[in-house]
Amino acid sequence: MQKPKILDILSADDSFQTIVRFTMRTWLYLSATLFLGAPALFPAAAPTIDFDRQIRPILSDNCFTCHGPDEKRRMAGLHFDTKEGAFGKPDVIVPGDSSKSKMYLKISSTNEAMRMPPKAFGRTLTPVQIETIKKWIDGGAKWETHWAYTPPKRPELPKVQDAKWVRNPIDQFVLAKLEKEGLHPTPETDRITLLRRVTFDLTGLPPTPAEEKAFLADKSPQAYEKLVDRLLASPHYGERMAMQWLDFARYSDTHGYHIDSAREMWPWRDWVISAFNKNMPYDEFTIEQIAGDLLPHATQAQIIATGFNRNHMINFEGGAIPEEYQNEYIVDRIEATSATWLGVTLGCARCHDHKYDPLRQKDFYSFGAFFNSVKEKGLDGYKGNAVPFLQLPNKEQADMKARLLEAIKEKDAEIGKAETRWEDEQRAVEAKDITAGLAARYPFEDSLANETKSDAPAKLVGGKMGYTAGRIGRALDLTNEGQLSFPGAGPSATDKPFTASMWVSVGGPSGMTLLAHYDKLPKDGPGYEIAVDYCNKGNCNIIVRMHGADPAALLETKSVEGIELGKSDEGQTPQHWDHVAVAYDGSGRAKGVQIYVNGRSVKTSVLQDRLGAPASFGKGELQIGNKDWGTPFKGQLADLRFYDRRIYAGEAYNLGLLSPLASVLKIPETKRSEDQKEWVRAYFLQQAGNPAEQQLGVDAKQLQRGLDQLNREIPSTMVMAEMDKPRDTFVLRRGDYQLKGDKVEPNTPAVLPPLPKDAPRNRLTLARWIVDPGNPLTARVAVNHFWQMAFGLGIVKTSEDFGSQGDPPSNQELLDWLATQFVSSHWDVKALEKLIVTSATYRQGSHVTPDMLEKDPENRLLARGPRFRLPAEMVRDNALAVSGLINDKIGGPSVLPYQPKGLWEEMAFGGDFSAQTYVQGHGDDLYRRSLYTFVKRTVPYPTLNTFDAPDREKCTVRRSTTNTPLQALVLMNDPTFVEASRALAQRDLIEAGPTTAERIRYAFRLATDRDPTPKEAAILEGLYKKEMAHYDTDHGAADKLLSVGESKRNPKLNAAELAAWTLVSSTILNMDETITKN
Amino acid sequence: MNPFRDREINLTRRQLFGRTSQGIGVVALASLLNPKLLADTPAAAPPKSAAAFGGLADLPHFAPKAKRIIYLHQSGAPSQIDLFDYKPKLAAMAGSELPDSVRQGQRITGMTSGQNSLPVAPSIFKFNRVGENGVWMSELLPHTSKIVDDITLIKTVNTDAINHDPAITFIQTGFMQPGRPSMGSWVTYGLGSENQNLPAFVVLISQANALNRDQPLFTRLWSSGFLPSKYQGVRFRASGDPVLFLANPEGVDGKTRRDMLDTLSELNHITEQTYGDPEVTTRISQYEMAYRMQSSVPELTDLSKEPASTFELYGPDSKKPGTYAANCLMARRLAERGVRFIQLYHRGWDQHNDLPRDLALQCGGTDQASAALVTDLKQRGLLDDTLVIWGGEFGRTVYCQGHLTKENYGRDHHPRCFTMWFAGGGIKRGFSLGETDDFSYNAVADPVPIHDVQATVLNCLGIDHSRLTYKFQGRHFRLTDVAGVVNKKILA
Repeated sequence: MQKPKILDILSADDSFQTIVRFTMRTWLYLSATLFLGAPALFPAAAPTIDFDRQIRPILSDNCFTCHGPDEKRRMAGLHFDTKEGAFGKPDVIVPGDSSKSKMYLKISSTNEAMRMPPKAFGRTLTPVQIETIKKWIDGGAKWETHWAYTPPKRPELPKVQDAKWVRNPIDQFVLAKLEKEGLHPTPETDRITLLRRVTFDLTGLPPTPAEEKAFLADKSPQAYEKLVDRLLASPHYGERMAMQWLDFARYSDTHGYHIDSAREMWPWRDWVISAFNKNMPYDEFTIEQIAGDLLPHATQAQIIATGFNRNHMINFEGGAIPEEYQNEYIVDRIEATSATWLGVTLGCARCHDHKYDPLRQKDFYSFGAFFNSVKEKGLDGYKGNAVPFLQLPNKEQADMKARLLEAIKEKDAEIGKAETRWEDEQRAVEAKDITAGLAARYPFEDSLANETKSDAPAKLVGGKMGYTAGRIGRALDLTNEGQLSFPGAGPSATDKPFTASMWVSVGGPSGMTLLAHYDKLPKDGPGYEIAVDYCNKGNCNIIVRMHGADPAALLETKSVEGIELGKSDEGQTPQHWDHVAVAYDGSGRAKGVQIYVNGRSVKTSVLQDRLGAPASFGKGELQIGNKDWGTPFKGQLADLRFYDRRIYAGEAYNLGLLSPLASVLKIPETKRSEDQKEWVRAYFLQQAGNPAEQQLGVDAKQLQRGLDQLNREIPSTMVMAEMDKPRDTFVLRRGDYQLKGDKVEPNTPAVLPPLPKDAPRNRLTLARWIVDPGNPLTARVAVNHFWQMAFGLGIVKTSEDFGSQGDPPSNQELLDWLATQFVSSHWDVKALEKLIVTSATYRQGSHVTPDMLEKDPENRLLARGPRFRLPAEMVRDNALAVSGLINDKIGGPSVLPYQPKGLWEEMAFGGDFSAQTYVQGHGDDLYRRSLYTFVKRTVPYPTLNTFDAPDREKCTVRRSTTNTPLQALVLMNDPTFVEASRALAQRDLIEAGPTTAERIRYAFRLATDRDPTPKEAAILEGLYKKEMAHYDTDHGAADKLLSVGESKRNPKLNAAELAAWTLVSSTILNMDETITKN
Repeated sequence: MNPFRDREINLTRRQLFGRTSQGIGVVALASLLNPKLLADTPAAAPPKSAAAFGGLADLPHFAPKAKRIIYLHQSGAPSQIDLFDYKPKLAAMAGSELPDSVRQGQRITGMTSGQNSLPVAPSIFKFNRVGENGVWMSELLPHTSKIVDDITLIKTVNTDAINHDPAITFIQTGFMQPGRPSMGSWVTYGLGSENQNLPAFVVLISQANALNRDQPLFTRLWSSGFLPSKYQGVRFRASGDPVLFLANPEGVDGKTRRDMLDTLSELNHITEQTYGDPEVTTRISQYEMAYRMQSSVPELTDLSKEPASTFELYGPDSKKPGTYAANCLMARRLAERGVRFIQLYHRGWDQHNDLPRDLALQCGGTDQASAALVTDLKQRGLLDDTLVIWGGEFGRTVYCQGHLTKENYGRDHHPRCFTMWFAGGGIKRGFSLGETDDFSYNAVADPVPIHDVQATVLNCLGIDHSRLTYKFQGRHFRLTDVAGVVNKKILA
């Protein structure tokens, strides 16, 4: 026995591999059975070799890496991915004669150095595989194009013996296969099990007692069909269908990368629910999600639908490079779109040509070009939704907004009147400029002149500079690394008093030196500087540093309140002017430094106060923008002045406010700049106006705050919108955004049918191409998804990969029939669902015999009905439903039910960002269906995550279904389930009859829809008696157990009894049968 | 009095053989198969020579040197220039511009690309020669200095990412974008568990000591990606239940829980007989594993039996649950109990500004415990088969971010070289690999890309990184993507 052989046969299932090592006895047993038995589905005894199923997987898995579609990696010029490649050289594969086929001779060589694949490659062919290839060549080496790339042809219905069993064509295909394998279908399951199965499958909820009663009472032959029709018409049908679709769309309530703050996409989620409920044809459903915005006269709903491709993760990590993430968004759209609709993973071609499928790297980027023209930013989302998004006010909000805007307008007019009155009074007042001790003044009115000393202007010593508008007059623009020197300006020693006064508009976010004067390098001094500190939330502190002769001699003072940073928006930095004055008394002490901002003295904190002996600043000159002295200033400066004395508070007020304000008031109102208007108004409302006038300002602010708040409350959702001029798209070498290769145009992969020649190359054309009946993949992939929901596995098990590395369909005729049927029904999803759930195949019992388990462990032949654990959402929804706690409201913002404390906070970035702290909801929010639970990507909701709900970082087409101890802990101890147990017990005690037997029967039936067997009832009764006795002697314990959860405990019920029934209910909710679709 | 016992003994060939798309709960099944475990009471120590439970049939590929990993991830990126990579020549260049010949046009982050100057900031910290080989190490790491003869330093680890999210995702999953399994998931998928009372892959998080407490963590760092989610790391928490939902609700005592589980087992047994589905058998045993965890986890987290000498070794913080020191001690206890992959995260290493203050605080909170862990493992004979990894996701720049003074500076992200250290199973002791240029900017000898680190770590576990693969979306994925070379120079 050789290990690899068995593993090859079974390699598809990892969990199996993990099992086979336990004991030698098992090992031998497995080896014997499997090796001799060969794969159950496709017996080696089949008369002819099936190329698609038996040969291509071997070639693709073992040979394509070096002999496949990727031309760059191709060895010896040989490739086996196409017929031309395989038979291009006559002696490689000689049809009918393996002994002359070099390919066969290589793979079967006993000489290790000669044998293919090479040892270093790490993969080896098993004897079975080598033999299969031999048989294929000897049998004529028939070649077929990979099945999935050929459009499905509607197959004839196959002949079957047991025609009575057949309810619809699905059954005919399934039965034909079973009969071929010598298997028989399992008899139809009982009505109750069927009711429960189909209700979960179509609504995600268990049937209610009333629904159950109605169904059981309906003895008509159409009873089941009527049931299915009722379920398909239920508003909860859309919710159930959306559950799977949200995984595809990687739907989430947070951005996912790094800070992972909140976003709003629930209007898109609700669109999906509604589209399924309305039974929107699948082609329209597809077109609207990919390109609804491009449809002629697109409706709001059609634009909302395009959120599918805005659900990807979005980044705004500080320091991240926009281009890098812009590229990731495109990659994600390619992957999600191709996996969801085409069942191929174009993602593999990101870095190089696909190794296994005929998908080239160029195809990947050409496909991406469709998505590279969205009006979006590489880094965005720090305040919620990233552009482009759509605001969706309800009627009330729209009215409120209109009212607020009107009120703001009125208030504004009122303020304007008052302001004009005030201004008229002010015009007569003259504010005298402060000139005493003025040693240098640079107005920067389009020159570097020094007003007080005409022979000592400032000079440009490096970089570029310019002039721009200031608050009043002109200003110096230093956004381009300009370096200036100011000969003779400013103080010359640490014991000389001085005042520096200037208007500043800060244009860079980092700490920057405004101006400095140092004697030598490095900046140990002596010398001084005035700097802008790191800006925190738009506020930048001012720092004054003065150095003595000794490196340790330093005076450093920092303002506690600072100046405002210009609002930066993708490189554009609108000016924001503040006046800064630094006055120093020459004392050498920190308390001798005072900083004024906009005419007012600000609080300072002393960082260093050990300047020591007076020191001269030496020969150097005052400079701005000297890189050696710190990060140079970036922004604008105006009216720079130096006084050779310290100025006092009143003078600073004059300098920083009154004088310049007076000069603005002289400008006619119509000629003032927006900045000047705002400034005058702010001064009037905050300082100059009388109390009644100042109150107007307070009122206006309040109105504005109301509007801002309303804007935050109005929901929005991210959508697609085209740029006026699309970005260019390039092939990126190794997938790296920095390594641009050839430019590409929007296009679809070459292996698939081409786009219509004259259609515009945009998303709408792409969407229509996807749902074109000539597309070989879309309909097959779609029916496979719907099949997967009902049977647990798709007809193609690898529902995310229909390519040559994917699993072949277990029944291709069935798949193709369903696909063609789906298209010819005009993509009618409900009709397809009905076809599936009314088939005899679906209605089979799900019991399995040992023999069947051996032959078909995964139930791919469908000789029995589906049985698997409910998906995460249904595990929780079921507990809420049977306990009666559920709130079945459909749609709306996501909710935050119980979650252990600190889960987000321990990992979150924090700060002012949203979704950093978990604020648990209350009331109905605790009992909403699970698809409304807030999805935070970096910290998934534990209750659902434990049951395999994905984290939604990427498109997930197929979930794993695990069975772990952590799931047991959730079901036993999560407050959601403990509370549900208590609620179920309460319901039981109120609604069921008074006897223990009746109560057990009722609770059991609520959870499983069937009566317990006498044995089961006896087992539960035993537990009840034990716990009743226990809680009867320990009322404290009972009270504690009954206090779990926020819903009110029924005070009329006896505590001990309720606690005992809570335990019994919890046991029932934990049963395998309760969390399983049987 | 254990009703499961009969079930276990009655386990049939059919159930063993049975597999579904869901797969059998491997760990649980393993414990069913191991008669020795049936005798174990929940709190009992695991068998010393326990074979692996679960894991792939062909693993390990060769004899492993290490059986388990303790990965001390310092999230945010510690400054290699201030801790390990001694650059005495920088003192003379303080404040001067980083030469273009050094930077070579390599990209810098959006946080300093707007800075017009990139002034060189020498470390203000003293370096000493430590250990037998006289390795240079910063005064901030007095305790690590003492274990230097037990570790291998690599000064030339380099990464492709320049920001935290992609960099930490890369070093933990082998790919900069989300979606891949973490290293711990790969290891537990490949090797299975060494114990049956605790998860195979445990995650411990400790918060920053620095005043700037930057950098979030993401579940994706320990998620199983496209591997089945049972391979996801299990977060052990310092507050509330150590494992989510571990404790019974108030008012449910151990006996009641046992009664409930016995009842549940009987009912599930009936279901199993009715449907013949082996998943039910697995579920029964998973409830038993959950029950065992309810005893084994509190026993694990109860430090009352640790002698005073332990707390002296790890430092006073080790008595405060959730601190880095307490987590290091917990890591040793997990290792003792056969947990395969123990992943620690310590936040707060992102010193863009106020580096001298905050780096000192970070080291103050971690240095003693990191060193204590190695010492403790060594004393207990566990260091021989445990691999300890220490490091961040990238390094920090030689140039100053923001305002440079003699006393204060900050450093931006630096991907091209940073230092990690390794100790224990399979790794050389008292060894240092790699040289960087005078600016700690580029590797000049023995560069070690992230994928090589990962390949080498797997190698210590007896895993050929190119053969530990999982087929997903038609491709055989692996931790090291399409790269990775085992660095034999650091192997013992």
